[in-house]
Amino acid sequence: MAKTKEPEPSKQEVLREPAEVQYRAQLAALAQRDADTPPASWKLSPRSVLAYVVGTAKPLSVKIDGKTVDVPITRKFFGDDALVERAIVTLASERALLLVGEPGTGKSWLSEHLAAAISGCSTLTIQGTAGTTEDQIKYAWNIARVIAEGPRPDNLIPSPTMLAMRTGGLVRFEEITRCVPDVQDALVSILSDKNIAVPELPDANMVFARPGFNIIATANSRDQGVNELSAALKRRFNYIHIPVVGDHKTEVAIVRDRSRELLERYKIPARLEEPVLNVLATVFREMRSGMTTDGTSFPKPSTTLSTAEAIGVALDAAIHARYFGSGAVGVADIARNLVGSIVKEDLGDLQVLKEYLAVVAKKRSAKDASWKEFHEAAVKAL
Amino acid sequence: MLGLAGVASPAPDIPARFPVWYPLLPYSPEYVAIREAAAIGAEVVFIDLPHHALIEPATPAAPADELEAPEDEAGQAEATAASWEAIAVESSFYQAMAKAAGYRSWDEAWDSMFELGLSSGRHATHEEFRRDLAHFCAAVRATSGDRPQRDGTIPRERHMLQAIRRGLAARRLAPAEAMVVCGGFHLFLDRDDAEPPPEPPKGTSFATVVPYSYFRVSELAGYGAGNRAPKYYQTVWEQLDRRPAAKKKKADEPASPKKKTRKPEAPAGEATEGGGAQVVATDKRRGGAAPDEPPHVDAMIEHVSHVLSRGRRAGEMFTAADAIATTQHARMLAALRGRPAPALDDIRDALISCCCKGRPEEEGRGLLRAMAEAEVGTAIGRVTPALGRLPIVHDFHEQLDALDLGEVMGRDKRMHVTLDLRDDAGARRSAFLHRLVKLAVPLVESAPAATGDGTTLFREKWTLAWSPAVDAQLVEKNLYGDTIEAAAMAQLEEEIAADARHAGATAGRLRASVAMQLPRVVQRLEAAARAAIDEDRRFNSQCEALVHLLVLDRLAIQRDLGRPAIADLAHRAYTRACLAIGDLGALPADQQEETIGHLKSLAEAAVAGDLVEPLDRAAFTDAVTSAALAATVPFMQGAFAGLLAELKVIDPADLAARVGAFATSHPARMVVAGEFLDGAFAVSKTSLLLGADALVSAIDELLRAAPWDEFMTLLPKVRNAFERLHERQRLAFADRVAARYGLAGGEAIAEVPVTSDGAAAYLATLDARVAAIMKDWSF
Repeated sequence: MAKTKEPEPSKQEVLREPAEVQYRAQLAALAQRDADTPPASWKLSPRSVLAYVVGTAKPLSVKIDGKTVDVPITRKFFGDDALVERAIVTLASERALLLVGEPGTGKSWLSEHLAAAISGCSTLTIQGTAGTTEDQIKYAWNIARVIAEGPRPDNLIPSPTMLAMRTGGLVRFEEITRCVPDVQDALVSILSDKNIAVPELPDANMVFARPGFNIIATANSRDQGVNELSAALKRRFNYIHIPVVGDHKTEVAIVRDRSRELLERYKIPARLEEPVLNVLATVFREMRSGMTTDGTSFPKPSTTLSTAEAIGVALDAAIHARYFGSGAVGVADIARNLVGSIVKEDLGDLQVLKEYLAVVAKKRSAKDASWKEFHEAAVKAL
Repeated sequence: MLGLAGVASPAPDIPARFPVWYPLLPYSPEYVAIREAAAIGAEVVFIDLPHHALIEPATPAAPADELEAPEDEAGQAEATAASWEAIAVESSFYQAMAKAAGYRSWDEAWDSMFELGLSSGRHATHEEFRRDLAHFCAAVRATSGDRPQRDGTIPRERHMLQAIRRGLAARRLAPAEAMVVCGGFHLFLDRDDAEPPPEPPKGTSFATVVPYSYFRVSELAGYGAGNRAPKYYQTVWEQLDRRPAAKKKKADEPASPKKKTRKPEAPAGEATEGGGAQVVATDKRRGGAAPDEPPHVDAMIEHVSHVLSRGRRAGEMFTAADAIATTQHARMLAALRGRPAPALDDIRDALISCCCKGRPEEEGRGLLRAMAEAEVGTAIGRVTPALGRLPIVHDFHEQLDALDLGEVMGRDKRMHVTLDLRDDAGARRSAFLHRLVKLAVPLVESAPAATGDGTTLFREKWTLAWSPAVDAQLVEKNLYGDTIEAAAMAQLEEEIAADARHAGATAGRLRASVAMQLPRVVQRLEAAARAAIDEDRRFNSQCEALVHLLVLDRLAIQRDLGRPAIADLAHRAYTRACLAIGDLGALPADQQEETIGHLKSLAEAAVAGDLVEPLDRAAFTDAVTSAALAATVPFMQGAFAGLLAELKVIDPADLAARVGAFATSHPARMVVAGEFLDGAFAVSKTSLLLGADALVSAIDELLRAAPWDEFMTLLPKVRNAFERLHERQRLAFADRVAARYGLAGGEAIAEVPVTSDGAAAYLATLDARVAAIMKDWSF
């Protein structure tokens, strides 16, 4: 009987690869062409990190395996490049970085790419929750072995922070404001002294951070009041506010690129055409602002209509079209999947959507076939 | 100030007047050129086309209200002469370059390419700088399309070319012996252009030097050619100036780097900043940046410290650690962006990164305000006494200093002043400020309440704010006299002559002359007011006069003026106003509201008895009673009836009966009931409430009796009448209506049983009663 060979762990298919794996060719190309000296422990210079995040106009011509190839550096973060510059500079400085913004504005996305480009590792991550403990920020012990052998360096379980300190890398702290203040304050000494004390180990009681160590935290501005950072911790962070994408063109570009990536990941042979993307981005932008481009105003829903939410709608629509439709993603698929995105907790949002459809979409449907299809499908879905 | 015949003007015999400002800061190229020329004994000639040469003549069809002569700042007239920067920004070369380099604004591009290049040594000599700038301007000009043809640039350049050629010819100079200071864009003007420049319109132009402020030259003030951060660039300029070693090293060069500073064409104004010295002293103690650092680094440290200290004063918690983090961040940002030293954009970004804990427009509001204040500055320039000043301007500044009001001219900020008129200094300040109001000198932003009520009898509250128009207006008023007092007096006399027969206006002038402490005019005005009151037959004018005189009477108590004389005038005005009431019975609708206001003030005066000898109340009530009988307009009939009720001459029930009478009258009479009611409600409130039950009954009868068409006609006026009432008064009427219809009102509703069954039963009862009432309604 033939024996099924297990795939090697490294070649196993994974649902989502970390950025440093997914974009390794781009990172390698940038490293090869990097003309500046990177700061200590950084894989790339700040300029190359910036180029990685905001993309380059032309592909980089580099040698891989002895062959010259052109590697396009794609834009990862759409928005104000100055924000990215400020974030990179912060990470090269004494202070840690806190990315703040509405849900779905790309904070974690930017955080991951910065970590990937700067330290080549975006997986040293602490997920902040109400149950996060100080151990998860500093270190823990293998209790069984401590009982058997007593506290020894081998029995210590380092946290992502400690690992980042040892390598001079970046640790990502997601949703920091979900943690209770006592736990947050564990970071104060780490950010001030750049070390972690391990009093249980008399002979190795300090772990010092290597140059390059820093923290990228994210916080949802809607949750900020839940466990606001103490004044001492605030001082140690530079805050960078990531705004919701304001302009139509950028939003269409984000939805297009991210949807394409996700559809490839899910192996769905569907493509979102430009008219479909336009309708989707327009609906989101207008409902978010409570005003159409021609000045008609209407109530805003209570839900945060982020660009990430729009990407979710696009993906759902594509999956729906693939498995239950013709395979082609139409405006009607978008309309059908839109309702769940807008109407979540507050049923009043249903009325808001109805008003938008009646006041805005219906008027446009008289002149535009895409809007006609959208209006009819959305009304039917409601 | 320019007087231009034949240009936009309200009338053919009134020449148009245009004030134009050409502001200068100490680092403006024009000003630097003037100073350098003075230092080396060179002659200075202005070569730009005067701004008024580009003002378009008015079209004959233009309506009068569009012919207001605009105030303009030289660089602001986009339609006629755009700044070269505005043209540069639109050029395809600049746009492609900005995209490639990542410049977010013109200012950022300019600072990166030229300002920082100068201070960091990118341009080793000034000739290198000049050549670099010339190349840039050539590229911009070549890719600007036909914009210069359309926006007034070409006529300006024709004028410049002609002025240069004529200037050289008149002085028999070779081109190499002269130096032209102009916008880089104009280096490439068409030297073969044979077209003559436009001739400035004929007229008289007057020029003077006035103080200007940082804020006024900033973009924040809406100045088209404005500087985005006048105070910050002043700091940079001062840092450049503190580099003696660098200056010595380059002594052989034609000019020092600072002479080519930003905005070659930007008008600005000389300003001094008192706070600057303090900040510099702090910086010296700290030691500042290393000696070999670019001056922009020193400027950044000073600026950041300035922003944070302003923020701290406003309650923000900024620490020295924030200052260190910010300056480090700015330097790193500058390095990342390929700049030799931090530009203002890097400093702004660094401040927001390091000191704003959240959303800039919310959590960072205080920081943004501090940044704006520190960038723009609040200093106002001072004109040197050596230049000579018009006597009135001199007097104005002397008085400001003498009255301790000079602070308002030192900062471009509002100043709130409270004056106690019992105090000599307060009284003198008050007189001075009232004189400025008379002369329309815009130093006074808000004057005390004109009514002179009890709260302002001994105290006046003023808001003062400097603007460049202050000096301009003073220059205008120099025609009236050499001092503020003389000019105010002359203007007052001119106004007296213009409306000598208007009792209200003349009494107003009398009051103003007392406030301005002009005793000589007071006596003359008293006689003039007496004559005007005796001659004027207009009810409104007499009422105005009476109000002014009553206020004056209260001022007289405080200022020890002759009250009997004022009382005599007030009695005269009162009597004549009462006599004129008889003319109000047929008043057209468009005059009714204003007249009602005067009638009410007359009624108040009649009952108040504030004068040394009380006014004759009976004269007023008799006049109103007679007028009520003779009135033909329903609104005025109502108003007179309402007044009589308010004065308790008639009973409120009588008023209600008059309303009720409409219910039984002919439909043609019935439809004007609303107007009658509207008139009554316009003057009467208290008496209406006293007789509210009767009035509600009367209105109810009227509405029940009115056929549908008549009801619809009188309804708007009835609604209008009720809208005159205060909400609480309306609620009081609503209570009476509820009581009349057997609905218990608020108290009863509050007694609704708490159990749901009981509440339901009670509400059902109420419902049934309302339904029964409504069943009887005929519509």
